[in-house]
Amino acid sequence: MPRPEHRSITFTIDGREVQAPENTILVDAAKLGDVEIPVFCYEPKLGQPVGACRMCLVEIEGIPKLQTGCSTPVKDGMVVHTQTARVKEAQAAVVEFLLINHPLDCPVCDKGGECPLQDISYGWGGGTTRFIEPKRHFVKPLELSPLIAIDRERCILCYRCVRFSQEVSEDYQLVLHERGAATFVGTFDGHPYVAPFSGNIIELCPVGALTSRPYRFRARPWDIEGSGSVCTLCPAQCNVSFTVRDERVLRVLARQNDGVDDGWLCDKGRFAYQSVHSDERVTQPLLRDGGELRPVSWERALATAAGLLKKAGAGVAGLAGGESTNEEGFLLQRLIREVLGSSHVDAAGVDPVDLWSLARPDLQASLQDVEYAHTVLVLGTEPVDDMPILDLRIRKGVRRNRVKLAVATARPSSLDASAALSVRYAPGGEGAFVTALTAAVYGGDVDAPAAAAGADVDAIRTLAELLRTGGGDDDNRAPGDVVIVWGTRLLGADGGAVTPALLKLASGLALTGRDGGGLLAVPASTNERGLLEAGVAPGLAPGFGDTGAAGESYAEAGIARALRDGDLTALYLLHDDPILSRPDAVGWDRALEKATTVVAHAQFLTAGLREHATVVFPAESYAEKEGTVTHPDGRVQRLRPAIGRQGQTRPEWWVLSELSRRLGADMGILTGAMASRQLFDAVPFYAGLTLDRIGGRGVRWPADPAAAAAFPPPPEVRRDVAYETTATPNGALRLGTFRSIWAGIEVELSPALTFLTPRQQVEMAPADARRLGVAHGDKVVVAGDGASLEATVVLRNAASPGSVFLQTGIQTDAANGLDAALVEIHKA
Amino acid sequence: MSWHPGADQIEVMRPPAPGAAGGTYRAFAETMRGLKTTFARVIEGVHTLQYPEQKTPVYPRFRGRHRLHKFEDTGLEKCVGCSLCAAACPADCIRVVAAENTPELRVSAGERYASVYEINLSRCIFCGYCEVACPFDAITMGHDYEMSDYQRSDLIFTKEMLLAEPLERAPLRAEGE
Repeated sequence: MPRPEHRSITFTIDGREVQAPENTILVDAAKLGDVEIPVFCYEPKLGQPVGACRMCLVEIEGIPKLQTGCSTPVKDGMVVHTQTARVKEAQAAVVEFLLINHPLDCPVCDKGGECPLQDISYGWGGGTTRFIEPKRHFVKPLELSPLIAIDRERCILCYRCVRFSQEVSEDYQLVLHERGAATFVGTFDGHPYVAPFSGNIIELCPVGALTSRPYRFRARPWDIEGSGSVCTLCPAQCNVSFTVRDERVLRVLARQNDGVDDGWLCDKGRFAYQSVHSDERVTQPLLRDGGELRPVSWERALATAAGLLKKAGAGVAGLAGGESTNEEGFLLQRLIREVLGSSHVDAAGVDPVDLWSLARPDLQASLQDVEYAHTVLVLGTEPVDDMPILDLRIRKGVRRNRVKLAVATARPSSLDASAALSVRYAPGGEGAFVTALTAAVYGGDVDAPAAAAGADVDAIRTLAELLRTGGGDDDNRAPGDVVIVWGTRLLGADGGAVTPALLKLASGLALTGRDGGGLLAVPASTNERGLLEAGVAPGLAPGFGDTGAAGESYAEAGIARALRDGDLTALYLLHDDPILSRPDAVGWDRALEKATTVVAHAQFLTAGLREHATVVFPAESYAEKEGTVTHPDGRVQRLRPAIGRQGQTRPEWWVLSELSRRLGADMGILTGAMASRQLFDAVPFYAGLTLDRIGGRGVRWPADPAAAAAFPPPPEVRRDVAYETTATPNGALRLGTFRSIWAGIEVELSPALTFLTPRQQVEMAPADARRLGVAHGDKVVVAGDGASLEATVVLRNAASPGSVFLQTGIQTDAANGLDAALVEIHKA
Repeated sequence: MSWHPGADQIEVMRPPAPGAAGGTYRAFAETMRGLKTTFARVIEGVHTLQYPEQKTPVYPRFRGRHRLHKFEDTGLEKCVGCSLCAAACPADCIRVVAAENTPELRVSAGERYASVYEINLSRCIFCGYCEVACPFDAITMGHDYEMSDYQRSDLIFTKEMLLAEPLERAPLRAEGE
């Protein structure tokens, strides 16, 4: 559905002529004329207004009764009064009515000082009450979930939280019980409200009824400072505002940016800030001495690291983890390439030319396109796990703009219920599936690739039909705007076949150069796109340039192999632990064992670093960092430090530039901003960017014609690559993997979120479980290719028989320990 | 632009020059006039207070060192750690960190209590706004004004010091005094 177009109209409010787009809600239109209408229940983010609180009553000429400003759209020539005696009497009456049962415990309430009810009582209330009867009482405070405290006495029944749960996150957990004055908010059967986005109701609540448990009584609004930055815990890169008191982050609030997060946050982004102040943080340089990492001075750590890197010379490889900023990645590749003379740097772990071809600005869809497209195809990704905020955006499009949603994944998706069509394929059949879908859209042989993907041919044909016609009827068969949301994990699985097929699919659907449609990648790690553009990719200089290096540049798997074979001797890890984050943990373990030198920047000593790192530099957390990151849709965003660095931590750009100086090359960087400057000069399509221009909202470079024209054309993709055929189970089970939203050490180390730390679980279809004789909750051993791990059985009705799914990214028993396409399962 | 005396010029009244008749008058007659006042007060006796042995009595509403209060019946602290005193404080000398009461550890009557309550008395200007802001009458200005110390850090009064019964060293002015 295309973006709505608005006609400008003129209406009169309090005797003032105001121009506003037609059908704007009166409360918003009044603001254009500098008139404030008080509201409690109205929140445009929640969709349709409900008019529950009656605070926004206004007088409209020609209508005998007072009208609710939050549910009345403005029309041309409308005459509105907000200052008449009738309106004032009604407003004072509503405030008095709301305060009848509201306890006056503002000094104790966490909302006190930033409470809309306080503000509106002062601004529009009568100031007195005639109510002398006892107030309504509930047991308080109660835990609505381990993260949220509920105080039902304070609730003014504005429905915001319930509407969020029902209409935005669609977890349908919160409901209103009882009727009249006895109404209260809760979950249906009293179970805790645990959902990926539950924390948003804290921010929505206009009174102190829903408060954050981790923030409970920590500070009052006048004790704190807000500091805007970007959350780098997942690729969604939501804009956040850190609440800081005494140099500690105490809370994270959403900072609304319609182009990025729409004003929502997931619970990981909202509560994982606690890991910033965890005791587990590495806060001083560590050096391996006698087999153990011991704290040393910066001087000693830098001298040792420089000496070891110098010795290794061109035998050094660099790996950047997804949390690295563009600047850090840019300096890492300078250190490895220019200073040490090696050519082996990688971040994403998939063929960078594939990512380059699919990141073309003319194919790029923006995040807002998802909301207004005719059809959205979610391909090989689970948004709620991989990029949680995107899940809300897709649901918003489907619910409010009647976007047709198609889901094509191996694992059952949480979006299936909202989808017009869901298609499953077998894990390992990614390339074949995209080939089949492209053939179905474009014409060609569908049956063979569909069989190789383990997918239903008819379902693929229906999906192709939906994409081609936008699901319209016979009279309206325009292809419409299609946004393909695809996971870059697809490339890791069967990249060679996915890229050409996906490009062909995009051109078959006329997505090239189309406003409102295109491809939107869901990367596997936070700043995958930025690091690629900053040149942290084998064989590609910053801005997809030529490195001019002779010989082969190893990617992630090549680096591991070369380290094992002794071709490379040293590894530089920037915010990365390959044993946790890369496929083939066993191979990486041997590679790190064999490496003579492992230099790492890390916030936490994860398993691989504790075992194998030679030098560990303490790394900044995202609340301390300065620099830029690039959103999957091409928006360059800026991180700003909210708190001082913990302990002896120093910035990564300083360490990289200092190491380079000690190795005999001066990078010419004295401040973080100088590193940004160098990056913007080196990448052609970042030309003209400055930190000031990026500001608080970011800059989407693909939307800038000059920047898009500076994008170097990717080389012709290889079209001769054959897709792989998914493994035949033959009694065993195909293995697929997924990464939970709760995976990651930040969740584990945040006391509030620890209860959500994922344990290894194996998701399977009930039919398979019956065949194997295991039940939901059983402990099993999953074995494949000589390795095995323990997991708990989770049955999913929607899972396709013959395939099981294990988690990656967790600290113990992660799926990357098994490097097998087929696994056997037996009871532990 | 340089400054020129103009309308702003000030006429200075010069005293009589020394040595002349006027000078003699000033040295003698005026001194006698002053001494008249002095000798007239001698009969009133000594006004000097022998501080610190003797202290000036203070008025009941004198704003001296703060006190925190407890409920007399339950022994619970009146302060709930709402931090309104810190918000009202123009010198920014109050720091409150709140915590939650638990059934095992009940400190105040409400849901929350002040786990840290500090007043930096070297910054305090004794305006009494904290007392006015307090919704629970938990903090009041006491009568003690003897707070000098050798270390600035000793002038940061903690919750325990503020809750403790102060040594009432300053006498209260009696009715009608």
